[in-house]
Amino acid sequence: MSEIVDAWVRRLKGKLRPIGEMTHWERMAAAFELRRADLVPVAPELDYWQITYAGYSHAEIYNDVDKTTDACIRTWADLRTDAIWMYVDISHQIENFIPPEKRPEHFVHRGDKDYLLFKPVAKTIDEAIELYESRAYERYLEGSRAVTHYVPHMLQLLEFQEKMDRIVPVIVGIATPSNYAETLVEVQQFVRWTVTEPKKVKRYLDLALEERLAALDFYAEIARKHGLHFVCLFGGARTWGPRQLREFGYADEIFVQKAVKLFPYVFWHICGHNLPEAMQLLVQWDGIKAVQYDMPYYSQKLSWPEWCESVARLFAGKRCAMNSPTTQTACHGTPEDVRRMVREFLDATLPHTTAVVMPGCEVDSYSPVENVRAMIEEARRKPLP
Amino acid sequence: MEKAERLQKLAQAVLEMDVEGIVPLIEDSLAAGLSPVEILAEGLSAGMRQVGERFKQGEIFMPEVLVSCDVYYRGLEILRPLIRQTGGGPVRGKMIIGTIYGDIHSVGKDVAVPVFQAAGYDVIDLGVDVPDERFVEAIREYEPDIVGLGTYMTSTFMHTRETVRVIEQAGLRDRVKIICGGPAVDPAAARRMGADDASDDAWEAVGKLDRLVEELRAARRSA
Repeated sequence: MSEIVDAWVRRLKGKLRPIGEMTHWERMAAAFELRRADLVPVAPELDYWQITYAGYSHAEIYNDVDKTTDACIRTWADLRTDAIWMYVDISHQIENFIPPEKRPEHFVHRGDKDYLLFKPVAKTIDEAIELYESRAYERYLEGSRAVTHYVPHMLQLLEFQEKMDRIVPVIVGIATPSNYAETLVEVQQFVRWTVTEPKKVKRYLDLALEERLAALDFYAEIARKHGLHFVCLFGGARTWGPRQLREFGYADEIFVQKAVKLFPYVFWHICGHNLPEAMQLLVQWDGIKAVQYDMPYYSQKLSWPEWCESVARLFAGKRCAMNSPTTQTACHGTPEDVRRMVREFLDATLPHTTAVVMPGCEVDSYSPVENVRAMIEEARRKPLP
Repeated sequence: MEKAERLQKLAQAVLEMDVEGIVPLIEDSLAAGLSPVEILAEGLSAGMRQVGERFKQGEIFMPEVLVSCDVYYRGLEILRPLIRQTGGGPVRGKMIIGTIYGDIHSVGKDVAVPVFQAAGYDVIDLGVDVPDERFVEAIREYEPDIVGLGTYMTSTFMHTRETVRVIEQAGLRDRVKIICGGPAVDPAAARRMGADDASDDAWEAVGKLDRLVEELRAARRSA
């Protein structure tokens, strides 16, 4: 029972204007199940953005679960997106490797709108392996595998979801083994070691996988007791090449195989350089219903519509495509740029598969509210085939 | 072994990420009479250019690029003191570079610095999470042509405006060109925030650096 949740439920339940013929939950579920929905769902990942939109600073909500939940629900009540994203920085998820008194040294707050910085836990691969072998993640935890201090916030949002009779789903992000392994040591170190220390990397990933599989059990309990249905798996491996995907992709694949058995609506979040090859891999992993993807970094030889269409063709009959606009356009573009990108994505995608409008990564804190509104309006304006 | 063959082997060592092999190769080349500048410019730097070509073609990826950069640096550690003693080759321009305040990621800069050095730029690396005032101090201290602002994330890219403002406030903006780099940058947005250009590709950025240095020198001449 949470007062903040009850206050919002009293304010909203039975009083919201309907949007379309389906509920937000039904619309998202239809897209994930490759069924026709009444409207194109729109579910931007508003992690940090929703905090500042609601008038809070990151520092203010860092240790205040009620304000965090308030920000997420307030933003949803205003914008009526088709999902509520739990607020969490993926680096929060490795808090359980750090003694509580040392955590402030690893998280750095700057301006009110700035990203929360995370400093790595280990500098060498041997140190990282030692952290896992000593089961450091169990030492600093109190009574559960609660992977972040925002777990109470997650429970509050799920309470809201249930008390609102599941008209809108809550999306919870869970880091994959590759993401976890990279974040602990910083990605640039990890990817170097895939070349120079492949045996140690394998050992390291095996340990990360073991911890992540156990963490899934923790989330499965949340799903059973609190109604967690929509899960975003935050993939790492964003700068991996084909060799890394071949040699080390197994850890994420095993993780996915377990996750899709535990939650009804699992999607994968990926961005980075080697996306075309990574996407090929993702359509082979059974059970993932959708993929939130970005544009490949660096020299993209395809135009935006061509890239979206190539993905949609790959996903046809297999996956729902989640994208648009790019995070950069959401932040630096004009509302018209945003609308154009959304239109192009939908025109390229809908002939082949279902779509959810959302940038391939989180909406940045600095993104103008007009751009977020433009994204939502343009998605809702699109007639479905 | 012929000089051309030695230089080819040095370039190959960079391309093939031969972290252990680069040191004896350089020692052998020096013993055979090759100058440190030749070894750097026609061996290691040529290797870095080939790395760039393969990266652009999608034949190699970031993990391999980073290790090739490490090989280049390992060679540079040996050659740099020798080049100082003997005098270096021609320098295309001087640059200070740092990851912008609020950003601790070095992955982009780890690639950009050796690529720029291999292209003939004198690069002073200020590190990561560099406060704006440090850029101002470094402009005064090193008198560079270019200031490179590395940003890995969309949000830290937005700090460009503040860094440029502080440089302007110090009365130094006209002395330098400012370029942003990283996966989230956008040239038009960089210009709106007061920088001169941006690039998400270190090899492509070399052409932009050349252009910016030329513009700066033309402005200095006309002043």
